Amino acid sequence: MVRLPSGASLGLAAIVLMLGAACAQEDSSESAAQAPEAGAAPEAGAAAGFSRLDGRPDLNGLWQTNTLANWNLEAHSAADIPQFAGLGAIAAIPAGISYVDGPDGEIPYLPEALAQRDENLAGWPATDPEAKCYMPGLPRAAYLPYPFQIVQGNQDILFAYEFATANRVVNMGEPQTAVVPTWMGTSNGRWEGDTLVVEVTGNNDLAWYDRAGNYRGASTVVTERYTKVSDDRIDYEATIEDPALYSSPWTIRLPLYRRTEEGAQMLEFKCVPFSEELLYGHLVKRDEEEQD
Amino acid sequence: MRTRIISSLAGAALLLGAAGSSMAHHAFSAEFDVDSPVALRGTVTRMEWINPHSWIHIDVVNEAGEVESWMVEGGAPNAILRRGFTADSLKPGTVILVEGYQARDGSNRANGRDIAFEDGTKLFFGIGSPGAPDARD
Repeated sequence: MVRLPSGASLGLAAIVLMLGAACAQEDSSESAAQAPEAGAAPEAGAAAGFSRLDGRPDLNGLWQTNTLANWNLEAHSAADIPQFAGLGAIAAIPAGISYVDGPDGEIPYLPEALAQRDENLAGWPATDPEAKCYMPGLPRAAYLPYPFQIVQGNQDILFAYEFATANRVVNMGEPQTAVVPTWMGTSNGRWEGDTLVVEVTGNNDLAWYDRAGNYRGASTVVTERYTKVSDDRIDYEATIEDPALYSSPWTIRLPLYRRTEEGAQMLEFKCVPFSEELLYGHLVKRDEEEQD
Repeated sequence: MRTRIISSLAGAALLLGAAGSSMAHHAFSAEFDVDSPVALRGTVTRMEWINPHSWIHIDVVNEAGEVESWMVEGGAPNAILRRGFTADSLKPGTVILVEGYQARDGSNRANGRDIAFEDGTKLFFGIGSPGAPDARD
């Protein structure tokens, strides 16, 4: 059974869905007409057919990664989570490859920064902002295991993420400086050929990159690149720079796929109520006889 | 249709009602003591631009020569930005003088009223809610 969003909260979700559905319908009819004419395999890149909007790659639609980058950007083996042993394999961490560039696929932390990462991990999941339903920030929002909608017109571009109803607007006009540090940062975008380049500044020092404690700082700058390679795939790249934490900039790369199944839509994942026991359970006055 | 309209109105009413009666906006006098004024001159170590109130973390050297860490509550980011504060003006390392009122429990927390910078600029930092002191001058 699908639970529909309650009436009071349909505002942004409804607008995004309607715009997204309208654009998606246009895309599929265009690409069906183009593919036979182009005569090239989808992997041939930008020259092959994919839909465009005002001459730019059309990024409208519902996207989601199928990678496990949100568990850990670095390569890791499968592992259990001891405190959730009652859930068995359901609460185990699957193995994953590294999404970080470089020969060893590890994030180039400075020594003290690495110690902080290990401290983050030791306190997981209570230390993970995802567990507290805080906003994921970039680039984590791009590879959470939940879909997000890109709404692209001929001006600013909206990214609406299912997780915690996080969202951000990419300013495509004159770059604006960040007023204060925030979870989702301040995004300024531009096109470089067929790649949407987004620079995210004004990032607070509270967000993480994954469930393994990898984290960002107050001076972190993230540069994202969204390159549409076919109607159903965007190749995503993000370069992260912060001289206070890392000895050099580092880059992650992973694919984003369109959610193509019938009825695919962004559902509601307003997770704040689910995090209240974690955050405030210790403040609840409970009688000694009370269970739970 | 009618059911849906009613439920969204009910939803809105619940939100408004909850905001009015919740503990999120406590009275100034419940937490801070207007008879315990403090003047803290020190260095900003961290600035939290959060709602409902911003918090400045400041290291102050007391009469004994020891460093004390204080946290001072101020207005919401939107409010203090409109009054002239910027992320840059309150970044870590900035020396400021904060005048305010200490917490009732005697801890190193205060409700801020005014902040003066080394160049002489003075801005109202306070929360501005009923019961809280207004700006001086």
